[in-house]
Amino acid sequence: MLQNLLEPTPLPPSVRANRLAIGSPEYNEILDFLYDEAEMLDNLRLAEWGELLTQDLEYNAPLRHTRSTAQFDQTYIRTVQHLHESYGSMLMRVKRITDTKSAWGEDPPSRVKRMVSNVRVYKTDKADEFKVESYLLVTRSRFDFDYFDLIPCVRYDILRRVEGSLKLARREILLDQVVIGTPNLGIIL
Amino acid sequence: MQKNSRRTLADGTHISDLINLETREVAMRTLSDPELYELEMERIFAKTWVFLGHETEIPKSGDFMVRDLGSDSVLVTRDKDGINVSLNVCPHRGMKISTLDCGNTQAHVCIYHGWAFKANGDFIGAPVEKESMHGKLLTKEQLGLKKARVAIYGGLIFATWNIDGPSFDEFLGDAKWYFDTLWCRTDKGMEVLGPPQRFTIRANWKTACEQSASDGFHVLTLHRWLSEVGPYRKPGSEGGGGDLTPEMYGSEVYTAHAHTMRCIELDRKIRRLTGKDPSELSVKEKLEALPPPGVTQEMIPELLRNLSEDQLKVITWRPPQVGNFFPNGLFEFVYIPTPDGVVGVMALHAYVPKGPDKLEFVNWILAEKDTPPELKATMLRLGVQLLGTSGMVEQDDSDTWPHQTIAAKGAVSKHITLKYQAMYETGKPEGWPGPGDVGDGFTKDDTQWRWWQYWHELMTAES
Repeated sequence: MLQNLLEPTPLPPSVRANRLAIGSPEYNEILDFLYDEAEMLDNLRLAEWGELLTQDLEYNAPLRHTRSTAQFDQTYIRTVQHLHESYGSMLMRVKRITDTKSAWGEDPPSRVKRMVSNVRVYKTDKADEFKVESYLLVTRSRFDFDYFDLIPCVRYDILRRVEGSLKLARREILLDQVVIGTPNLGIIL
Repeated sequence: MQKNSRRTLADGTHISDLINLETREVAMRTLSDPELYELEMERIFAKTWVFLGHETEIPKSGDFMVRDLGSDSVLVTRDKDGINVSLNVCPHRGMKISTLDCGNTQAHVCIYHGWAFKANGDFIGAPVEKESMHGKLLTKEQLGLKKARVAIYGGLIFATWNIDGPSFDEFLGDAKWYFDTLWCRTDKGMEVLGPPQRFTIRANWKTACEQSASDGFHVLTLHRWLSEVGPYRKPGSEGGGGDLTPEMYGSEVYTAHAHTMRCIELDRKIRRLTGKDPSELSVKEKLEALPPPGVTQEMIPELLRNLSEDQLKVITWRPPQVGNFFPNGLFEFVYIPTPDGVVGVMALHAYVPKGPDKLEFVNWILAEKDTPPELKATMLRLGVQLLGTSGMVEQDDSDTWPHQTIAAKGAVSKHITLKYQAMYETGKPEGWPGPGDVGDGFTKDDTQWRWWQYWHELMTAES
């Protein structure tokens, strides 16, 4: 019962026949969306990013576990997660940064690069929705520290066309680390 | 000579000189010194009881999970007799036995040479039994995993290597009276809502842990955003926008073994919810107006039955909301205002030492077993939003501790002192029925100072 309340809506399958060819106009449009989104977040245009979200947003980052190869499907934990957000809670995270003078965990802000690659796009049963898989490598530099925190992950997105523009309706972030190697996820992935 | 070296660091500094017991100051060097760190692992983490997790994480016989007891990896297992904790290191050649986070197995078999162990750590045997790989010098009984002493308290799993040391109840001391109001209040008890979040912070474990010993002051500034935006913003009636001062009043409890807590006053909230003077309401009426985190109206009779009159007085007046169990555990049972009313969040943290300059933050989110699923889901989402990896409150903490750790290395700054000089001066609040040392009114430093006093006691003990 609790599990049902916590599990995100199942993602549509990644069916090869539904894949949009790399370089096709719609693929390019989606690639533009992801690149522009990365630029927006890297440059702290957070309020603008908030406008890309649909009101039924589901935004999750499951925990990972080290399990045996035979139990690989059990390496994703979707009860307690690192992020378990709705539209309202995501906007609250944005407002903490944009509307207060005391968001110390990101003030001064980290210098961040969101490098998006391995983008694959699938048509879904809904004409206005696309399933988008991408790899994301985040480098995060804080203060004068001589190292970067690295946050590699895969993202499974649902992008929806709303009144002509693409919006983010769903994102699941599968992080590679069991023990996250950055002091907080105070930045948006 | 032996005694002297036990109390003296390689550069000749006496450990006692790092703490000024008169002026309540701690040398900053203490926050990153590698030699002190090694001593802490032996004198604190191998001596005291340490929090490892919750029994609902491993509900079935054969379930196991891998955790850290100080600087040592341990197997936490369940068999038909209960919970066991053993060193996760093969006594044969020192390989880590389980390299997984968790699972279920009847035998823990080391992948290196195949030695096998029961859930309770007993040695089963080595491959090719008739050839006797383990030799004949030691018996099978002598070849088991090193076993820790285990205590289960309200479902929480604690363990210690101090086999003949104080009992768990002695270790808790006066804190137990208060902790019972959290862990032991309902008939069925609590459960974890999933495995813990885990993340690494490049900071000494004590930066997190001395704060966990009920640092109230930092909330005013480090977490000031709470008062600036969203449902946490303070309306005028609660002291004006941007002011968290009203949350700083209550009682603070500090006990002999440095378990401490902030018991924050509920009167304002109850007055707002009921429109009545709290002193005119019965315990039952107050519980019904503002049930503790995770508790529903249906569970209130259980609280009335399971807790004493004095305990009920405390939890409806100034309940323990945040605090620590020494050395590296923290609890939060907080009342969070939301647009849909007050929602409780229940969380436990362990700050696992990972070297002088690194700690692992482990965050469990819990509810009562009988909390309805919808409320559990709300508590979980709110917990994730505020605490742990992405928590909007705790990301400010995790960004602060590394700076203290770095500063503790400066040739000059390592000699400046951390100060704990805000002191309670009036004793227990009138009518306070609970044990331990108790301060009344605005938050002070006594709880954190008690943490360092006990650190000092353990670090300079004869043996």
